[in-house]
Amino acid sequence: MQTKPVVMEKFHIVHTSFVVDLSFTNNITILMGYSGVGKTAVFSFIQECMSIDKRILCINFIDYQKNIGEILKQTSGKLIVIDDADVLLDSDARKHISLDEKNQYLIIGRNPADLFATKDNLFELVSTSVEEHTVFTIKPYL
Amino acid sequence: MLTIYKNKKDIPSDKEYVELNDLYFNMNTSSLLDERAKSIIEAIDRSEQISKFKIRSRFNGDVLNIDKLSSGCKTVLNVLYNPEKVFCLKECGENALDVLFGFEKGAVYSDYPIIPFDFEKVAVFSDGEIKEIDDYEELKEWWSNAD
Repeated sequence: MQTKPVVMEKFHIVHTSFVVDLSFTNNITILMGYSGVGKTAVFSFIQECMSIDKRILCINFIDYQKNIGEILKQTSGKLIVIDDADVLLDSDARKHISLDEKNQYLIIGRNPADLFATKDNLFELVSTSVEEHTVFTIKPYL
Repeated sequence: MLTIYKNKKDIPSDKEYVELNDLYFNMNTSSLLDERAKSIIEAIDRSEQISKFKIRSRFNGDVLNIDKLSSGCKTVLNVLYNPEKVFCLKECGENALDVLFGFEKGAVYSDYPIIPFDFEKVAVFSDGEIKEIDDYEELKEWWSNAD
């Protein structure tokens, strides 16, 4: 498994009063945790960036009818952000991700099965109020 | 009490299975919400429901459409307002599970164990048999065993 991020170590974006400030230490980051902490909101802010940053590909339940595994195999050089991952990723797609050295992944879900993940892959979202902004960062889950 | 399925083949043919909780909530459940939703939205998403289709964000107080609820909260509301259907459990965080596993009726499906630390009793269904379980380890064992 590729351990160091192959596309980016930092991701930063401002969306009105929200700031997303992510530091990646691993090529696969699995974002877990409670419901309602803002994971899908962060996904939508990153998704917005697809229009200006070619290195980003976002996948969520809108892509339910597509062959996700095939999309992953045909993609190179991107940070692939997958929301609703526990529903969208089958075992084959998960195994592909675990061995993929061409892309980096931010996976929003709670099931690390078949990703050959260790605690170094598991993170949770942290939100902090800074004056009029809400800043989202990630920290190790365990 | 909540009924749990671990095999899709066990879901009775007259019960609809819903995998995409977000979509089902936006298209169906949202129009069914009443006073019962308020406390659930508060407990799981820490957001205030200010009208049928509006919530106040926990982060900055913005008024948002109710489609911005978390997938876990939407799953719980789907089960509450549609107890005759079976909903995918996989997008529920621990806080959503705490609420869901206390329901008096409703049904969920997952092919792997997703269990809150505290629950009183659930009904599990596999191979045509239903039984009640009130112990974490027993439920985990049932869920982990392939039938």
